[in-house]
Amino acid sequence: MSALFEMQGITKEYRGVPVVKNVDFTLLEGEVHALLGENGAGKSTLSKIMGGVVQPTAGAMLFDGRPASFPTPAIARRNGVAMVFQETTLVPSMTVAQNLYLGDERLLSRLRGVYISAQQFLQSLNFHVDPTATVASLGAAKKQMVEIARAVRQKAKIIIFDEPTAALTPEEKHHFFALVERLKSRGVSIVFISHAIEEALAIADRITILRDGEHIATDAAGAFDRDKIIRAMVGRSLSGELYTHRGQEQVRSPGRRLLSVQDLTMGNAVRNNSFSVYEGQITGLFGLVGSGRSETARIVAGIIKRDFFHGGEVRFEERSVRYGTPASAVSDGIVYVTEDRKQEGFFETMSIGDNLYAGLLAKNLNSGGALVNMAEMRALADSWTRTLNIRATHKNARAVELSGGNQQKLVIGKALLQKPKLVIFDEPTRGVDVGAIGEIHNFINRLADDGLAVIMISSYLPEIVNLSDRILVFRQGRVVEEFTPGDATEERIMYAAVH
Amino acid sequence: MMGVLRRTFDRFRGAEEDVITLPPMDGAIRPNQAIEAAALVLEIERPDNLAFDGRRVLFSSGAEVLAFDPSQETAKPATVASFGSEVTCLAADGAGNLAVGLNDGAILFAAGPRKGRDIADRGVERSCPTALLLAGEALVVCHGSRRNAPDAWKRDLMERNASGSVWRIDLATGKPACLSDGLAFPYGAALDRSNNLVVAESWRHRLIGLPPDGAARQPALLDQLPGYPARLAPAARGGYWLCVFAPRSRLVEFVLRERDFCEDMFLEVEPDYWIAPALNSGRSFLEPLQGGAIKQLGILKPWAPTRSYGLLIELDENLQPIASFHSRADGKRHGVTSCLDLDGRVLVSCKGGDAIVLLDPRSKRGGANR
Repeated sequence: MSALFEMQGITKEYRGVPVVKNVDFTLLEGEVHALLGENGAGKSTLSKIMGGVVQPTAGAMLFDGRPASFPTPAIARRNGVAMVFQETTLVPSMTVAQNLYLGDERLLSRLRGVYISAQQFLQSLNFHVDPTATVASLGAAKKQMVEIARAVRQKAKIIIFDEPTAALTPEEKHHFFALVERLKSRGVSIVFISHAIEEALAIADRITILRDGEHIATDAAGAFDRDKIIRAMVGRSLSGELYTHRGQEQVRSPGRRLLSVQDLTMGNAVRNNSFSVYEGQITGLFGLVGSGRSETARIVAGIIKRDFFHGGEVRFEERSVRYGTPASAVSDGIVYVTEDRKQEGFFETMSIGDNLYAGLLAKNLNSGGALVNMAEMRALADSWTRTLNIRATHKNARAVELSGGNQQKLVIGKALLQKPKLVIFDEPTRGVDVGAIGEIHNFINRLADDGLAVIMISSYLPEIVNLSDRILVFRQGRVVEEFTPGDATEERIMYAAVH
Repeated sequence: MMGVLRRTFDRFRGAEEDVITLPPMDGAIRPNQAIEAAALVLEIERPDNLAFDGRRVLFSSGAEVLAFDPSQETAKPATVASFGSEVTCLAADGAGNLAVGLNDGAILFAAGPRKGRDIADRGVERSCPTALLLAGEALVVCHGSRRNAPDAWKRDLMERNASGSVWRIDLATGKPACLSDGLAFPYGAALDRSNNLVVAESWRHRLIGLPPDGAARQPALLDQLPGYPARLAPAARGGYWLCVFAPRSRLVEFVLRERDFCEDMFLEVEPDYWIAPALNSGRSFLEPLQGGAIKQLGILKPWAPTRSYGLLIELDENLQPIASFHSRADGKRHGVTSCLDLDGRVLVSCKGGDAIVLLDPRSKRGGANR
């Protein structure tokens, strides 16, 4: 295979601080090349340079053997380089079909025709997405599917996938991998950026590892194993620490029943759903996307409302509750750590301290009443930065400047400031690097050890099996099976979720 | 006025107080088939009221009290006493006392120094003895209802009565004291570490605490049970065993709110075929079916809605469930009304399944589909 795209000595600096340092990268024609590294390792920046989103400070690029420069993403796209971002770039108010054909509309186009062709195209990719649905109404996984479909539709020669599977269920991932194989067989080169090491090992032909903006290794996928990759990524082995299977003897015994969801119903998303959550335990919720896990959690947390007629009941501390707003749930002691941290988790232009203080204000726990107490805010920022080991370039760093893992820690800190009794984590380690995953897991464990009730929604089976004291499997809007770590295997859980 | 309107509207939309929901069987009450798989000790008609007098295991079957030696490999029951009415409750202690409650309302001593003495003649309510507890020099009596006899428990539930009471009788003086009144079918009692009474209030699906002097009733100690609780028994390793004799179901909860329907049902349908909980089910085609899809390819699914169920819950010392043992919809050992802990092995009477079984809680348990 010949080189399709080459990067030579690429360096990118922000305000004099290098985030990518003298990196060489070669993408061969028709290969799947995985780009791995912790958050902040420079993977996204490197891929953005490739996609024309940011410009390198130094270095050269060759495309098809000719010098290339992509000042804008549009120019990159015209040259055959498409990028599927971790954060979707779709227009939320437009339909799926309109988003697919955005920028490619004819002068006179029939909406019905657009929908039909979009439907056919999505079906050909095995993506079950309604082309007439507005993007705003879709969940994170389906948005990701549309994003991927759009890149495939543009018939790009190089497609850069930035964390494409983070929001997908195992079944959807299977379809995605099949799609990658199809694209590869058509000669498309793929750059695959992911934190899921197993996925990289499974589908990549070659793997490049970055650490702290520097190139560490590039080799055929067969030359790597999980431990070798982790060592290269973080400089130490974490494999055994992260996802070991817990035995029944390590399960925490349940405390008081804190939450009882009874026959909860919300449209077709949640149907007659019932389960309990106990203090001092981590209750893991697993299911495919659309199985109603997040919706149920959001109803409990007062973010969305259950059906007005025969919507069932939520009992918190043996009291029937119906929260109109999240604020009422927070004041009762229920906090929800969102799966979509960028949209719902924090104010990205505000500092760590500002964001944490906002959490305090949500429950009127601040000392200044209507006035902001700057000293309190600074003290808060200092103490939680230490507690959660949030790593930032400087004290007043804005949330947007933090890496994914540190942003997640910030969201968790903001939630915990509200002195909750029940913490709901929705995909707590999605898009988080392997080092931060361990820290977040430790933190979740500590909460349960301290007697809090914890709900953890995750699509990553090893995480569910490793962390949960009870595992509830969702299918079609309700809990269909319950496992303890002693009797849970990934196969059994998946079987319950699918059949 | 607004309150009335809101109540009416809530009833229409099935919300707030009119919501018909049930607590799930999950966590410590996760379904399994442990009772169904337990060793059979005895097959006998309608066994109930397991007790231990220090030597023998006592139990009732119809109008008889029987006993067997638990150390024998095969239980050979012998009749201890016979009565003119069905035995509804009994209590025994190591001193040879055996108190018995009968369906006709009588409560008498069938053995021991007080043999033949009728407690109910001494001013104690005489209607529905459901549970007895010998506590030192006192006898605690649970009366399920003022309106119905014990064998009419189904009617009492469907009438939504709350006329039960708990009495404490000083055995030395014979003086009775009402500890609590207005209870919804108290059906079991035990003493906690502080000598307070823990009472199972069946129709309200909860356990409540009663101080020994009958002072103010405590709030529910355990609420929102998924079935109707019956007898409580102390567990050898601390805590309690709680028998749940029938499951709650949304259909029954719904029918309970439909008073006109209930009245018609009382008049026109035999109690065995009411839409109501039962000690056993599936024995007659006249019984009401619940929901659809209870059978697939001729096989009754364990998660099918059912009127009867077998459930024994192990509670810790704080009365929180820590484990449970089930006989599900497709099982036969339903209607668990009493149990007895014999140094870690638990005898369970399945009144609906006509069997006494022996559970070994340590050999438990395996999950099941919900």
